[in-house]
Amino acid sequence: MAGRRAAIKAIDWAAFAERVPPNQKAMFNALKTRSDALSARLAALPEKPPAIDWAHYKATVAKAGMVDEFQKKFSALKIPEPVDTQTAKIDAQAKEAEKTTAEYVQASKARIAEYEQQLQKLRSMIPFEQMTFEDLHEVFPETRLDKDKYPYWPHKPIADL
Amino acid sequence: VISSVLHATRPLHTTQQCSAPLPPLPEKGGEVRHGLIPEEFFQFLYPKTGVTGPYMLGTGLLLYLLSKEIYVINHETVAAACILTVIIYGVKKFGPAVAEFADKLNEEKVGKVLAVKNEAIKDLETAIELEKKEQWRVEGRNYLFDAKRNNVAMLLEANYRERLLMVYNEVKKRLDYQVAMQNLKRQKEQDHMIEWVEKNVIRSITPQQQKDSVAKCILDLKALSKSAQAAV
Repeated sequence: MAGRRAAIKAIDWAAFAERVPPNQKAMFNALKTRSDALSARLAALPEKPPAIDWAHYKATVAKAGMVDEFQKKFSALKIPEPVDTQTAKIDAQAKEAEKTTAEYVQASKARIAEYEQQLQKLRSMIPFEQMTFEDLHEVFPETRLDKDKYPYWPHKPIADL
Repeated sequence: VISSVLHATRPLHTTQQCSAPLPPLPEKGGEVRHGLIPEEFFQFLYPKTGVTGPYMLGTGLLLYLLSKEIYVINHETVAAACILTVIIYGVKKFGPAVAEFADKLNEEKVGKVLAVKNEAIKDLETAIELEKKEQWRVEGRNYLFDAKRNNVAMLLEANYRERLLMVYNEVKKRLDYQVAMQNLKRQKEQDHMIEWVEKNVIRSITPQQQKDSVAKCILDLKALSKSAQAAV
């Protein structure tokens, strides 16, 4: 009995729903409905079937030995538990997820560091009133005019003016 | 070109290169009196001659130039006077407006660039926020796997219970069938027996017996009617 009942953890669906990104909400809803259907089905079934009243049947059924035979066979019957094939796969998936999340978090942290750096540069900029063009090109490199590619004024294609 | 003119007699670029940013340009130019003479001149003469010194100097110089005819008054003087009057009048009247216009142009330029910078800062901040939020979301991955495991466990449990229930139902059905069969058989036997007995009894009543029983019934009825009349 102890081996058959894998503990069913209580899941905080509200907290789970919070963490789902908006583009995966449909999948989450599907999972939730499936989960709810399963738990409803489980709740509808009794944990143990009611016991068969052997004494009553022994008294009523006339055929000799039939009830005894049934009783013997019934109590000797061992119903096989369904075999769990998926939990291993789920655990493997969980491990995969651990790895990919670690990578993602690292990439995300790198991105954050980049953004922080840019933010720092922008915040510690000198005010525009005190800048020369050189200073401007340092802070916003895209404003630098390419004097080698376009040697004549205005140093950029006319369409870009 | 200039260095070649100097024939490289003067050394150039002797001090260290300093990359400190330039100090900001001053907002306003140097103070001027009467639009021409810098304030420093008046301050320079103040200790020796007081406040009226530079004016006396100016008047004296002017009178000297006029009286000695170093500056000759001719038609060009009149023309200069008229032109200067017009120019000074124009500048005094429209100067501030033009200055404001120019300042507005400059401010617009600066404003645009400032807006770009602020937007960039805001975008970066929101990007950082989003990244942090995504990291927080990712932390909830365990919920998913718990839910999946739960589903699997529930499915297994439900299947097991269904199997138990099925076995019970089947056995009960068979036993109930036997009991029902028995009951039905007994019922049929009873009914048949009763019918058969009744049929035989009716068949065995001979006509003579019938007449005797009818006469007996009539006598009984007469006796009963007598006693009944008395009761009523």
